[in-house]
Order: sequence, then C-alpha cells, then structure tokens
Amino acid sequence: MSVTVTAPPSAPGGPPASGGADRPEKPRPSVTGYLGLAAVVVLLILFFLATSSSTLVLDIGVGRVPLYPALGALALVAVLVLGWRTRTGTLPILGALAVIGVTWWGGSGIGFTLSPLWEDLHRAEPVLQGFLNPNWAFIWRVSDAWLVTLAMAVVATTVGCCIGLLLAMLASPVSSPNTGVSQFVKALNSVIRSIPDIGYGLLFVAMLGGTAGGAGPMAGVLALVMFNIGIIAKLTGETIDAVDRGPLEAADASGANLLQRDRVAVVPQILPGYLSYSLYVFELNIRASVVLGIVGAGGIGSIISVQLSRFAYENISAIMIALVVVVLAVDFLSLTIRRRLT
Amino acid sequence: MIRFENVDVVYPGGFPGLKKVDLNIEAGEFVVIVGLSGAGKSTLIRTINGLVPYTSGTLTVGDEVVDPSSRRQLRRLRSRVGMIFQSFNLVSRISVLSNVLVGRSSQTSSWRSLLGWYRAADKEIAFQSLERVGIVEKAYNRASALSGGQQQRVAIARVLAQDPEVILADEPVASLDPPTAHQVLQDLRRINRELGITTIVNLHHLDMARRYADRVIGMRGGEVVFDGPVEAATDAAIEGVYQRSLTAEDVAPDAPVSVDEALGAEDGPEEGPEVEGGGSAASPAERAGR
Repeated sequence: MSVTVTAPPSAPGGPPASGGADRPEKPRPSVTGYLGLAAVVVLLILFFLATSSSTLVLDIGVGRVPLYPALGALALVAVLVLGWRTRTGTLPILGALAVIGVTWWGGSGIGFTLSPLWEDLHRAEPVLQGFLNPNWAFIWRVSDAWLVTLAMAVVATTVGCCIGLLLAMLASPVSSPNTGVSQFVKALNSVIRSIPDIGYGLLFVAMLGGTAGGAGPMAGVLALVMFNIGIIAKLTGETIDAVDRGPLEAADASGANLLQRDRVAVVPQILPGYLSYSLYVFELNIRASVVLGIVGAGGIGSIISVQLSRFAYENISAIMIALVVVVLAVDFLSLTIRRRLT
Repeated sequence: MIRFENVDVVYPGGFPGLKKVDLNIEAGEFVVIVGLSGAGKSTLIRTINGLVPYTSGTLTVGDEVVDPSSRRQLRRLRSRVGMIFQSFNLVSRISVLSNVLVGRSSQTSSWRSLLGWYRAADKEIAFQSLERVGIVEKAYNRASALSGGQQQRVAIARVLAQDPEVILADEPVASLDPPTAHQVLQDLRRINRELGITTIVNLHHLDMARRYADRVIGMRGGEVVFDGPVEAATDAAIEGVYQRSLTAEDVAPDAPVSVDEALGAEDGPEEGPEVEGGGSAASPAERAGR
C-alpha cells in the first residue's frame, strides 16, 4: 500500500513540466498486477526466512534480523519499487523477482559466502609465496610439453572442424538430403555435445592409456576432436539455417544436384562464419588441452599435474604465466585473422 | 513447346494456386503474364520448372510430361528451363564468373563442382554469356559490388550459360528503377529474338507488358482470364483482368524508356492520367477529338 502512495507525486511532476501537455504518457501498469507482485515478494521473503540456514544476524537498531534473508528481501523490494516508478509492466518485474528468488535459493543451498576469503587466508600463504616467486627457468625446461600441447590443438582443430562441417551440413534441413537424415544427425550432434571435454578425456585415457602408457597425446587429441565436432556442428549448423535461400533456389532452378547446390550456394555463404568458429575452437583447444593434460592426456597439463602433486607452486606459477601469454597471443592472432574475414 | 492441360495446383495448406489452366505456348514466343498480386502469376511460372509441383492435369515441356515426383527428371527439365528471379538470387560473396558457372552445374560432374575446377569449355560458355549481356569486364568482380541492374544481368548470363530452351522470369524488374528495368527487359527481348528462346515473364506494369510482349496472358484468382496477342490487350481488356479501372500506378513507368528518351519526352508523365481517365485504348484519340 505504501508503494501506491509514493507513486502519484512523481507522475504529475514529471512529463507535463518538461514537455507539452498533449504528449502521450507512458501508461501506468495495473495496480492489481502490482498488488500481486507484492504478494509474491512477501511469499519469497517468508521462503527466505524458512530456508535460511545461516546464523548470522544483523542489528538494525530497532531489532535484529537474519542477515541473508534481509539482503534478499531488500533486493526484492528495490526491484518492486523501481518497477513501479518506471511504470514497467508486471511481467518483466515478475521475471526479475523470479531471478532474485532462484539465485538466493541457489546461494543458500551451497552455503555461498565470501567470508573464507579473509578468514582462511593464512592457509594460502605458502601457495601465494610460490606463485609470487615464479621459477622462470622452468618454462624452458618443459618446452617439449608446450610443443605437444600446441600440436594437439592444431591436429584436433583441423580434424574436428572438417568432421564438424560435414555433420553441420547433414544436420541443417537447408543442406541435408532429407528430413530423416537431418533429424538423426541433429540428435547425434546433441549427444556428442552433451559430454564435456573432460569426460571425453577420461574416456579416451581409460581406453588408450594415459601419459604413463605413452598414448597421452593421442587420447588428448581424440577428446579434443569430439569436443570440437560438438561446437562446430552446432554453430555452423545454425549459420546454415540462416543462409539466404535465394541462391539455393537459383541453383535448384538451374538443375544442380544437392551436392552442387550445397557447394555453390551454401558453402560460400557460411565460409567466413565457419573459419571464424574454427579459429575460436583453436583457442578453446589450447585452454582445454591443459585441463585434459591434468587427467592424463599429455602436454603441458600433465606437467602441471606432476608439479601440483609435488607442491612446487613456483613451477606452476611460471607455467600459468606462460599459459596466459600463449592464450593471449593465440587470441590476438585469431582476432586479427577474423577481422579480415568479411 | 509448353502445354498446360487442365492443370491444378493446390498448395499443402489447401490453398488453390492454379485452377484448371489450359495454355499452349509456342517455341520462341515472348509471353508476358499480368495480374494483381496473388493472382497466380508466380505459381504458373514455377509450375513449369517444377519449383511448385502441380497436383492434377498434364503439363508438357518440350516432348516430356513433367513429373514433379521424379528428382532426376526435374533436374533434367531444369537444365533446359532457366529462371530469373525478382531478387536476382546471386551468391553475393563470390565472383560474377562463379555465379554464372552455377548455370553449368547440370553439365558438370559433382566432383568438378566440389573442387570448383570447371572445364575450359564451360568457362568459355560463361564468358560468352557475360558478353551477351555486356558485362564481361566484371567477370572477376564480387557479385555484391555490382548495381541492381548489373546483378540482374549476371542472373540472365547465368541462365544463358545453361543454354536453355525456355527462360522463365518471375518479376525480373520489380526491384529495379524504371530505366534499368527497361534495359533488362530489352536484353531479355533481344535474347529471345536472337536465340529463339521461349520467354515467359511476370510483370506488374502494364505498359512494359505492352512494349515487350508478343502475347499477353491475364490471370486472376489462379485462372487464366485473358490470353491474346499484345494488340488485343487493350485497357478495357486489362480492366477486365484486374476487375477495376486502371490507375496511374499501373501505367506510370511508361515515361522513362531510357535515360535519353526520358529527357526528350517530357510529356510522358502526363500520358498516364489520361489513359486512366479514358478507360479504353482509344481514349487519347477521343480526348483529342473533344
């Protein structure tokens, strides 16, 4: 009720003073709608109070309230008031309230709090000491592993992007032979994409043997290839869905077969996008191959894994810094190339 | 050359595109189809090369009955029947020559298309086609770098590269300004005369239809309601097709035939309203007499 009282003074004071009297005013949202939203806010606050597991309490002078529910309630009320003042419709505000509610619920579920950052800082001291004194010489001692990582990324990008393009062409209804093939390949692509890169890494390391078995990089490349197929098939497939159909119709009308139509009318249209995605995938591969190395797929990641088990943080620090430089360099390179693809 | 016998087209939603169409188009004719939007002009043209499958009746192109269910036969048919579109439908990112070579697809094996490695003879045909529409010097330009009129000429060259027996043109000049439109239609007319290619064109503007056609076909509601030589397509006859009196819109672009003529003939625009008011082909004479 207090909300409805605060609103009217702002309305006559605003638009008529600055502009002409006959200008249309933004329509006011329905009061009943906002009463409903207020009810939602009350329900959410009750939910916060009921599910809060924290014992932290805030003293606000007149009384003591539980800290986290109070923060949530503040955000909810702020959104409600702001929505009324800007005359926003009820639906966007309901959406915003829902986002706040769900986020609060998620945070309380994992006991999210920032306090360990300062309470447990003493534990980080040896780690930080190591990281602040990187062992620069170590970067060059493991140059072989760097090369392996780079080689893995290059091979996986080439193979993965070629297979990915083929699957994208078969998956899009625009370029595939018929809807059956399109549906099947689409489902296949979804399955390939649903397994994360680390999942493929664990799978292929288990199948081929990891660094210890001598097949680490091979397992890593296979894992990256699967990872790349998923990304490229998805992004390129969507690009194919959006191509201009005119040239396809023209190719059809000139008696071209499906393969010719795809080659002359589809490929030229998607080529810049496809090359750009491929470069992006190459960047991803450099980063992903580090993580894959940790699960036993060779490259610089396996070095990190070994140094981590030895608590040699100064060595890890040096690798991390070099990694940042390498990733930035690859980023910059691919950005430069992508800018030329129009 | 092209014979419709009792042809019906019903679209998947149940909407009738063509109703009981009977037509016979002779080889070498230049036919213009007129009618309001939604009259079935596009459907008629697209039925001929199977882009729209007909649902009953018999359609014969050359000596072959069109079978919309056979992909192989449709491809063979389409290699003989070229098509030009309102929006040109060029691949804008590749060169003019590559676009024209798309017209050679039906005569090129898939692996050659895949590698983009066309035979020298095919390239020669593509160059000759570009020469015929007068833009051979643009062969290695990107298609997107050309003006609208030039792009439509590339599309005509693409069709010529097919060495077709029939050219279908679906509103070929609707996205061009009047002088360019006349140039493109002049090209089509010249090609029709020189090579004897049967040409069927959809047009919005009556005056252009009268200027270039041998024969005019009027359509309304999916039916052919007028079919006769261009001399018979009087204002009264076309008003019968449109079922309303002609407006300045229908005849206005009469004025600028080409840039030169437009400069010379300043009285052009005044003629439009006069025709509209008269309501028959004899109206200018009548007005002069009064």
